[in-house]
Amino acid sequence: MGLKRKNNGDAEEEENDKMKKPNNNNEENARKTVLPSTIKNKEKRSAVYAKLKQQKKIEKRKQTKARDAAEKQAIELGQEPPPRQVPKTIENTREFDETVCKPDDEELFAGNDADEFSSILKQGFTPKILLTTSRFNSTRGPAFISDLLAVIPNSQYYKRGTYDLKKIVEYGRKKDFTSIIVVHTNRREPDGLMIIGLPDGPTAHFKLSNLVLRKDIKNHGNPTGHKPELVLNNFTTRLGHRVGRLIQSLFAQDPEFRGRRVVTFHNQRDFIFFRHHRYIFEAKETKDEDPKSKKSKSEPDAMSIQQKVKTRLQECGPKFTLKLTSLQHGTFDTKSGEYEWVHKPEMDTSRRRFFL
Amino acid sequence: MPRTTTLECPGCPPLRALTFDVLGLIKVIEARDEDNGAPKVVERWGEPDSSKCVLAASFLDREVDPLLAVARTSGMIEVLSPINGDVRVSIRVNDQTDTKPSDDVIVGLHMFKRPRLESVSRLCSLLTCTTRGQVSITNTEVPQKHPNNSSDQTPTTWNVSGSGNVLCAKVDGSENYASFGGKGVEINLWDLQNSRKIFSSKSVTKSSIGIFTPPWFTSATFLSHDDHRKIVAGTNNHQVHLYDISAQRKPVMTFNFRETAIKAVSEDPDGHTIFIGNGSGDLASVDTRTGKLLGCFLGKCSGSIRSIARHPEVPVIASCGLDSYVRLWDVESRQLLSAVFLKQHLNCVVFDSYFDEKVAVNGAQVLPHPEDILEMSDSDEPEVVPVKRKKAAKAESGSKKSKSKRKEKKLKGESDSD
Repeated sequence: MGLKRKNNGDAEEEENDKMKKPNNNNEENARKTVLPSTIKNKEKRSAVYAKLKQQKKIEKRKQTKARDAAEKQAIELGQEPPPRQVPKTIENTREFDETVCKPDDEELFAGNDADEFSSILKQGFTPKILLTTSRFNSTRGPAFISDLLAVIPNSQYYKRGTYDLKKIVEYGRKKDFTSIIVVHTNRREPDGLMIIGLPDGPTAHFKLSNLVLRKDIKNHGNPTGHKPELVLNNFTTRLGHRVGRLIQSLFAQDPEFRGRRVVTFHNQRDFIFFRHHRYIFEAKETKDEDPKSKKSKSEPDAMSIQQKVKTRLQECGPKFTLKLTSLQHGTFDTKSGEYEWVHKPEMDTSRRRFFL
Repeated sequence: MPRTTTLECPGCPPLRALTFDVLGLIKVIEARDEDNGAPKVVERWGEPDSSKCVLAASFLDREVDPLLAVARTSGMIEVLSPINGDVRVSIRVNDQTDTKPSDDVIVGLHMFKRPRLESVSRLCSLLTCTTRGQVSITNTEVPQKHPNNSSDQTPTTWNVSGSGNVLCAKVDGSENYASFGGKGVEINLWDLQNSRKIFSSKSVTKSSIGIFTPPWFTSATFLSHDDHRKIVAGTNNHQVHLYDISAQRKPVMTFNFRETAIKAVSEDPDGHTIFIGNGSGDLASVDTRTGKLLGCFLGKCSGSIRSIARHPEVPVIASCGLDSYVRLWDVESRQLLSAVFLKQHLNCVVFDSYFDEKVAVNGAQVLPHPEDILEMSDSDEPEVVPVKRKKAAKAESGSKKSKSKRKEKKLKGESDSD
């Protein structure tokens, strides 16, 4: 035992010697890089932390200055400025996804031609939408419905009553509706949206959040009855394409550009943001007041007046956020339905994996 | 630096699988040792066409002259060569003119290992079953070349259900019996020799609160290869029933699995384990001796499972379905070996067990042109005709087997150490 201990002690000493040598060299460095989190006294810790932060800030400012100077110099010398760094975001560091559609995929086009929406999207007739709610519906629910009716052309609201959803699907099929939208309300607040494609299209369940109604938007516009233009952003994967086409099949495929009305579904990190705008192109006649234009003053007036086209947006209609929870094959059927995609907790292994 | 989780795929043993999708495409997946067992799509047969959507497929897995039968939505059945995808014969089974093919689609297809009529050589027999319950056994000649559209023999046809929709049809290992079941159709067992019903199940009694669930079977399989008496059936009511026809007409065992309808059931060659897949993408293995869940196959599977296939030798199962992935799982450890994305909704997957890596690699170049095969067939004895990759493999088949066994051991060792 004693021997062993002695041996151990020797080894430790040796180790300490080894450690000390570099330590002696960089002792000052080591003292400087004391982690603030290891300091126990809060006042001291926060002071050290503040100092550290200040230093970082100064350094960053220096770096920016140096970069800008280098850029300026390069431009003056007529060289290519050094490339700017692109900040890393969650979107552009997204995990590799093999389901992302490639633009030259013939199977994708064939699949699109064969899917449930192609008949609606190709024929170009205005889709007929049935809007209904969950059984209990009050306060914000009806207001949201009336907003939706203004957004989606050719949509009709039917009172839910006590009908089964399967019965409603049957009715919709008989009456040649192309989609059914069900707004689910919980505690007087709309919290779910279900879109059912008819006659045999898929059923998508969405979680609805951040609902702001039209009357709550400041300086909102009132939409006209024209068919809106549709913008679908970032639906990249196969699933995304399918959801995108499902949304596309709600709107008329021949927008009336006179109405200058645009409906946007913007997908970002699997959240689909809905916005509804009116836009206007304003041709403003602006007089140049720059010192450069002093010369032009001597020239005829017509030249000094420049036509400048400015685009202005006015928000109208509701805004809300959707998140897909499941996509079901076939129409609404909870018991024997087959899911094309369901969100499962085991899929949330990374912040950088997206499905749409 | 962003934290990214890489999908860990241990890779699978060398194997070859064929998948069938809604656009009528047949894709061949091969895994080889060279690329660490990462399966890849090596071939694609057919042009994307929604009217050719594959509904059912049957694979005649044998060493010499394997065949593949595929039933399509258009009512056509194609017999293909699983080596190069050539269409050998295409048959139209649905002869009734009064029913539209969209109304009465084929739900079950089985290709018999040995022809029903011994008199004619190179004859293949096909059993088909439609939703309306029309079962027919067709005999067709499979020519070497020149696909023709003739079915010379008149098919033996009978009806297995008076009302309701047949959803599943399965022929047992001895190929003498077939079971059928569906929505409103109890599990039926038929003797194929004289087309006679020998068993029909009895529906389960009302539950304690008096709720009667009408029969709705979505999938069925025979529990073991050489025993036609035990049938496992999955229902729409997320239940799995085990029937023993020698015991009683009611199920001898029933158990629940999750909350969505069972969509696929497959048996293990060990005779007591079954694999079940459901409408929300859960896959599990169950021991039918105890009725206990052995475990679930976890692997981010998010779409309904349409088909499960068990490899006859290697302990690997493949599952495919509406999420357009083919996933290969290890049976013992229940781990995901790898997943391949195939772009469309998949309806069926089968394994080609006579796949030898080396030969297949060389065979890609060496494989004789179909015309050459024909010439050879004219000169040589007919047995050599359908020659393919296997010709060279025969000599070293012993070594190959030992190799595969080694592989198995290795896998087992891994799973043990796990």
